[in-house]
Amino acid sequence: MSGEPEDQDHHMAAQLKRGDSTALESLYDRYGGLAYGLAFRILNDRSAAEDAVQEAFLAVWRNASGFDTSRGSLRNWLLSIVRNRAIDRLRGNVRIHREVQLESAEHAPEVPDAWQAVAVDLERKQIRDGFAELPDAQRRTLELAYFGGYTHVEIASRMQVPLGTVKGRMRIGLEKMRSFLVARGVVG
Amino acid sequence: MTRLDEAEADDLLAAYALDALPEADARRVEEHLRTCSEHRAVAAELRQTSSMLSLTVEDREPSPELRRRIVEAVKATPANSKPVDRGAPQAAVVALPRRFRSWRPRPARLAVAATVAIGLGISALIGYQVGLVTGRPVAYTFQGDASAAPGAEARLVYFKDRKEAVLAASGLPKLASGQVYEMWLIKNGVPVDKGISASATGDLGAKLSGDLSQFQQFAITIEPGEQQLPTTKPILIGNLQAGST
Repeated sequence: MSGEPEDQDHHMAAQLKRGDSTALESLYDRYGGLAYGLAFRILNDRSAAEDAVQEAFLAVWRNASGFDTSRGSLRNWLLSIVRNRAIDRLRGNVRIHREVQLESAEHAPEVPDAWQAVAVDLERKQIRDGFAELPDAQRRTLELAYFGGYTHVEIASRMQVPLGTVKGRMRIGLEKMRSFLVARGVVG
Repeated sequence: MTRLDEAEADDLLAAYALDALPEADARRVEEHLRTCSEHRAVAAELRQTSSMLSLTVEDREPSPELRRRIVEAVKATPANSKPVDRGAPQAAVVALPRRFRSWRPRPARLAVAATVAIGLGISALIGYQVGLVTGRPVAYTFQGDASAAPGAEARLVYFKDRKEAVLAASGLPKLASGQVYEMWLIKNGVPVDKGISASATGDLGAKLSGDLSQFQQFAITIEPGEQQLPTTKPILIGNLQAGST
């Protein structure tokens, strides 16, 4: 496969829509390590993380015809499914409900894709730096929500702070991170 | 559903972007976003930033087996086969996975008693009061696949008036880590998921809901987690047309 990474993703998406299984292998070769890294970050268990990744790739395979490249990148879609599957494994038996809700939400036209504004060759170090720059309490709050799958009420209880504090940390944390990335041209 | 005002919605947008709202609150935010372009733009930015958290993780090397597992599962699964609605056995017919097409159900062996399931003594079935059922139940017995599940046996007792069946299986192959037994009812060649079990003993007890007269076969597969369609060949399969009363 040749061309720019974004073109390659579009090419893979088109192949997947046609039911070409080699495209799924290419997708795995490109993003399998990232997908597994994300699942492992959430589950901290090799076997469970691999199961979540397998389910996510199969979900991509089964649902590829509904994927719209104009609404998001293949990688974003894949990672959103990985996260959903991993969190559902982590949090219990709510999988089917969540996956319908979240995977369809990923295609909601109101929400532009996370990576449309970002070059496909993301500056991941800058994103990590932006996250690391956050005050501990804000970073921990975002981690509990994003990687732990906790609701804001649950986070307030775990951190023993008022719910309003959690809401504030979430909002300010995301906005600070965005400002950091805007300043470095990672997002527009 | 109580509508959110502007301030309430604004207060919840970050949690919404992080999928950290209870279901009811998330629905209320979405309802608000349908009509509020200003908050829609804010939510989009927050969602964009939140999704970047996926990229803060380091790549990790999965086991080499994972790639093989995925490739095998993909080959056994039709592309673009969005799962059938698990609650609706009458859902549109979908193409069978290649492996599934080779299924050849064996004739069910007639069973004699409606109470066989209880007779197996599987804990999940203890207390099930067949005697309270007024309709005449139909019983089926299925044998495990000779190579995949030799010695396994499943007994299914169907109570027509309740449209409910009790399953008791024993001697199933032991599950590896992460695997589950998945039960299927098959209608016109289309398998419909009827639930999973992660029993560690090789014994399985379950209650199945549905009108069995609508289905032709029953089957059990071993899957790497619950599937919407089978990804492996059944370890046990049998016909539902020859039960005894």
